[in-house]
Amino acid sequence: MDLSRIGYFVRRFSLDPSLIIVIVLLVVVVTAGFLLSDRFGTMRNFMNVLEQASGLGYASIGQALVVIVGGIDLSIGSVVTASTVLMAAVVNVHPALMIPMIFGTLFFGVVIGFVNGYVTIKTGVHPLIVTLGTASILNGTVLIYTLQPTGSVPYWFEEFSYGRIGNVPISGIVMLICFLLVWVFLRYFQAGRALYAVGGNPEAAHLSGIRSNRVILFAYSASGFFAALAGAYFVSRTGVGDPRVGDPITLASITPVILGGLILGGGKGNILGVCLGVILISLLSNLLNYMNVSTFIQWVIQGLIIIVAVSVYVHKGKKL
Amino acid sequence: MNAISSVGILRTNFQFCQVIIPLALFGLIAVATILKPSFLSLNNIQDILTQAAPLALVVLGQAFVILVRGLDLSVASLMASSAVLATAFNATSDAMIPVIFAATVLVSACVGLINGMLVTKRNVSPFLATLAMMIVLQGVRFYYTQGAPYGSLPEGFRFLGVGRIAGIPVNICAFCVCFCFLCWLLHKSSFGRMIYITGGNPTSAKLVGINADRVTIFCYVISSVMAGIAGLFLVGFVGTVDNWVGRGYEIDAIVACVLGGIMLTGGKGTLWGAATGALILILIFNVVIILGLPVQAQLIIKGIIIIVIAALFSRANEP
Repeated sequence: MDLSRIGYFVRRFSLDPSLIIVIVLLVVVVTAGFLLSDRFGTMRNFMNVLEQASGLGYASIGQALVVIVGGIDLSIGSVVTASTVLMAAVVNVHPALMIPMIFGTLFFGVVIGFVNGYVTIKTGVHPLIVTLGTASILNGTVLIYTLQPTGSVPYWFEEFSYGRIGNVPISGIVMLICFLLVWVFLRYFQAGRALYAVGGNPEAAHLSGIRSNRVILFAYSASGFFAALAGAYFVSRTGVGDPRVGDPITLASITPVILGGLILGGGKGNILGVCLGVILISLLSNLLNYMNVSTFIQWVIQGLIIIVAVSVYVHKGKKL
Repeated sequence: MNAISSVGILRTNFQFCQVIIPLALFGLIAVATILKPSFLSLNNIQDILTQAAPLALVVLGQAFVILVRGLDLSVASLMASSAVLATAFNATSDAMIPVIFAATVLVSACVGLINGMLVTKRNVSPFLATLAMMIVLQGVRFYYTQGAPYGSLPEGFRFLGVGRIAGIPVNICAFCVCFCFLCWLLHKSSFGRMIYITGGNPTSAKLVGINADRVTIFCYVISSVMAGIAGLFLVGFVGTVDNWVGRGYEIDAIVACVLGGIMLTGGKGTLWGAATGALILILIFNVVIILGLPVQAQLIIKGIIIIVIAALFSRANEP
């Protein structure tokens, strides 16, 4: 195909150039998958991957929103953990409270996110330190409450992660809908555009009449909300509240955000890139598992992918 | 001119550090002594110092990186990697210890070089570059050990970790040597001035003819080398090698730097502050144990203290 056609498509669908790298990697992984494994390219496998990807997906949406306003949220993993334990522990004692507790857990996430945002704004402390502090407090509290997986939820809640509509996993549908809603919000709503404005240049945003503090508060609250949603997904998947389940999520949620072309420091990037990043990471680990590549080598590959993805483009200007 | 102005900034920051950090330190010591009078016994002080030394070594390196507006998340992973590397020699005689140290310093320096190159030459954000390095090191280490380290270390390592020379813990002696050298480098040599200027404003550093990239890379190398050495001392202290030696030290090191008044925005802070920060952190852990609280309460108290102290510092540094 002639190169100018590619340029045309890029402009026609207003593709962010930063999306190209994740699309290229995705094509490489899928092609390699079809060539190297006969079990990879089946519809059943793709649906399974979609189901498994959603926990990471929810967490990444939250991380992406915070990164867009120029922050970073290192408390995501601990919010995931705390919400699984909270939900499973309460529902274990009062099974009738299952549905209120779903909303209660999401509200809990919003509160933690709000606190993160509030402290960041009011003290001017770097979000890295603030969210690290909240993470430490939450983790400590959860570990004082329990050291082992605890609690239980009714069986029907399993449907949230394992349920299928036709052949498509419910959790995957919910994740894609979330991504789509956030994309529409960021692209077509004034409040959504404000996130980019604040991330790009807080002072300029303030001068043009945007209430930066509210926008930042909103982004952190949303991050807490999606972390709690990821927590609900993990409860649904395992049926218990595990005080360790969120540990790897914090750093894992950053990888798709970076692969998707968002820049630490804020103001740039497309949330659909993050969606592709989540799918890429999940497909890659799925493929490597089929190829019997050890987890240890998968870590090396993951690290190298981050390095390649961020060092292909030389970003000018501010960094975190 | 630039050197002078950055010294000026240092002074204003200094006054605040001079009040709050020692205050926090003495406050903690007072609380601990009231709760448990034996806290001030020679034996307990030696124990606390022995415990603090590996963390303090990492903190010294981390301070250099934060001074040039960076962050090194790969230190904990590097500590474990250097421990695993040490077992790879399968040495039994103490004569091998210098060789092990030399190899560790060499490998760590390479890791620091790569971190620094990514940050300066490719303009990767320090957070991501070192995060990726952390994951890569972890993968390589686990692949080499297949999950469970084997091999053995010379007996002498135990002495390095917990031994005492004339009542002074050996690892504290090592810390003092590193501390004096790095203090000279940062606070007395012209290279140290360059670090402050680069951290304060990389653009103006370039304009006054400083090779800012080289200075930054050197800071990453220092951080990695200190982490590698700290890993060996920590192995000596703990007595066993596993794949997670030093887990959580990257966070603790950053926290100690922030407690010690080193600004994440770069260019402000001293090594004295950083070392005090490390000591405060270890004392907090000790006080929690003395109070008879569950170990997990350390996490909660640590979290509260980071936010509060960081908030105090950021208020004090407002123009």
